[in-house]
Amino acid sequence: MKIVKVTVDGRTLEAPEGTPLLQVMLDAGMDIPHYCYHPKLSIEGSCRFCQVRIEGIPKLQISCNTPVRDGMVVKSDDPEVHLVRRGVVELLLLNHPLDCPICDKAGECWLQNYAMRFGNREGHTIDPRRKRGKRLDIGDRMLLDQERCILCRRCVRFCNEVSKTGELHVFELGEHSKLDIYDDQRLDNDYSMNTADICPVGALETKDFHHKIRVWFLQETATVCPTCANGCNAMLSVYKNRIWRMTPRRNDEVNETWLCDWGRLNIGYPTDSGRLRVPIVDGAAATWNQALDRATQALTDFTQQHGAALGAVVSPHLTNEENFRFGELLKALQVKQVAMAVQRWKPDDLLIKAEKAANARGVRELKLVSGADDGLEQLLGAIESGAIKGLYLCGDDLLKVTPPDRLEGIFSKLELLIVQSLTNDPRYAHAKVIFPTTTFAEKEGTFTNHAGRVQRITKALDTPAGWIGDGELFTHLLNAVTASGETYSIANVWDRMSSDGAAFAAVQFDNIGPHGVPLAAAGK
Amino acid sequence: MAARVVKVVRPAPTTKQWLPILIGLGVASAHFFRNLFGFIRGRQDFTVNFPEQRFVQPPAMRGMPVLVQMANGKERCVACGLCEWACPTSCITIFPAETAAEVERFPEVFDIDMARCMFCGLCEEACPEEAIVMSRQVEISSYSRRGSLWRKQDLLVPEAELKPRLDYLRAQYARK
Ligand code: SF4
Ligand code: SF4
Ligand code: SF4
Ligand code: SF4
Ligand code: FES
Repeated sequence: MKIVKVTVDGRTLEAPEGTPLLQVMLDAGMDIPHYCYHPKLSIEGSCRFCQVRIEGIPKLQISCNTPVRDGMVVKSDDPEVHLVRRGVVELLLLNHPLDCPICDKAGECWLQNYAMRFGNREGHTIDPRRKRGKRLDIGDRMLLDQERCILCRRCVRFCNEVSKTGELHVFELGEHSKLDIYDDQRLDNDYSMNTADICPVGALETKDFHHKIRVWFLQETATVCPTCANGCNAMLSVYKNRIWRMTPRRNDEVNETWLCDWGRLNIGYPTDSGRLRVPIVDGAAATWNQALDRATQALTDFTQQHGAALGAVVSPHLTNEENFRFGELLKALQVKQVAMAVQRWKPDDLLIKAEKAANARGVRELKLVSGADDGLEQLLGAIESGAIKGLYLCGDDLLKVTPPDRLEGIFSKLELLIVQSLTNDPRYAHAKVIFPTTTFAEKEGTFTNHAGRVQRITKALDTPAGWIGDGELFTHLLNAVTASGETYSIANVWDRMSSDGAAFAAVQFDNIGPHGVPLAAAGK
Repeated sequence: MAARVVKVVRPAPTTKQWLPILIGLGVASAHFFRNLFGFIRGRQDFTVNFPEQRFVQPPAMRGMPVLVQMANGKERCVACGLCEWACPTSCITIFPAETAAEVERFPEVFDIDMARCMFCGLCEEACPEEAIVMSRQVEISSYSRRGSLWRKQDLLVPEAELKPRLDYLRAQYARK
């Protein structure tokens, strides 16, 4: 594509011909106010906020709907442009309710911010404000406040172009225009909550976050959604060691600027009150040291007695690093039969992938498991036939993918069961030791998504004092079993992971960056 | 970091600074002798007999912050969090919640740690709803740390009692 040069306020900017002028200016770090333009949606040009002066054209032009061409000379710092901006804000505020103290958007609201920057401090009207529907229940997860809506139609375009469900529409004309749903269709698509993110004001709100917490108290941590194999980039918002919401983080290679509702809502489990917080030894709560000693003892006794009759289930929810260390532990314990259990759900062709876990591909890349069903059937068969008498079970997916009666049969056949789990499920009653496992929000590491992109997750929540994360746990056991002195750190695991000649050989941890890198094998 | 010793140089006091001190001493001694020999003639009380007697402070006085309670018994606060953010000592903790009532948002939790509050009044200034105001209450000592934590129910004061302060505030803000 031809690269053209435009001059904006005396700066020369380069961009492919035809790019929207607004995008070029925004990419250059210029602060051009806009509402209706969104880089991932079609251009609407309804807010008239992004107007600039273009040399040779008598009237101001909206920069979002002006494709750049060579030699364009643009002025954004112009008295008339300033006048227009003030006018746009004043018009929007004419009928805007004074809801900021109770509006979820306050603090990250584009109208608040622009009104503070460009608005008059006083209104000029004497008429009462327009009345519209408030707190309308328009979907299972969404609320609409028509008074706050500035009619930018971002949400309408989202539903038409991205989710392709078309639930939202602006009804009536002019002064009477209002955003609403059609009578027979609620805003219930799998991506409905994205409309709240892209809404520049607080007109669309998620029920999940409604009246929950002020956004200025939230600490944002860049992470990856743990819910499916797509590995959508996300931001976790944390306050007082609790996750309050998860919002999308732009990554054009993975999720553009979207997240599905199910991933977004799946943030409660790290702080769930039912979560296992202390290790369980023989059915009773124990300290971490007791549990580690008991597990080591049980594992060594078992191998002495039965030889290589231990099987293992790897968790697709653990990071690449933890699973690599688990692989080393399994080698030390001479485990032959390794499998992985992954839950599945209905995929779609936007984001949702069939596997309901973030790192199944990582486990396969580490060559811990093989076969179409990741060796699960073979392992379960071996337990049922008595060839395998002990099991090291990581994660709770096995409970969900195996029929209950079969599971009971399998667990009752085992002589040794060690579990690493989120909950103290009654079905683990046979377990010698149950270790609490650590969630994606409580650790550093990487996940490999379905397409082989390695992406980093970051610690957002603190764990209780004395807590031992999964990686450290495997390392403790490895040290106890092999009498060595390993330590667990991302750096030293990566040294081995990328020097092994394995799938991760081409990737360096330090090069992963905020948007991840593909494994060399992927797509080449 | 290496320690650094700063030598503070103070200029010797001048007559201009001595004089007010002498005047002050004069006033204090005059009161002292008047009180000492006042039983002979014309002593007047300069203090109130606290706690039986109490001095009514002017509305400009900033005591501890309290929450305005409306006639229906509810707080006026909508849990917007601005006072929480404005508070320099971070002694306010608010968790909002939703109700079906017309004012849909209220503080489920509204705690002020009075051991940390410094009566600065910034919370009152930040509040868009006239929901938190500085009262005349200053007796807030307690025997435990827990006792310094004032919950929403402890903080509520009927609006009528706070009228002088609210009127004072409105007069202040009306002033251009
Ligand atoms: S949408 Fe923005 S300006 Fe409007 S009430 Fe909400 S925070 Fe205030
Ligand atoms: S609800 Fe929000 S995104 Fe939709 S038109 Fe109104 S302001 Fe725009
Ligand atoms: S008076 Fe000052 S220190 Fe006390 S709660 Fe209000 S803002 Fe905080
Ligand atoms: S500023 Fe006022 S309305 Fe907002 S939370 Fe504080 S007391 Fe409540
Ligand atoms: S952003 Fe250009 S008209 Fe709205």
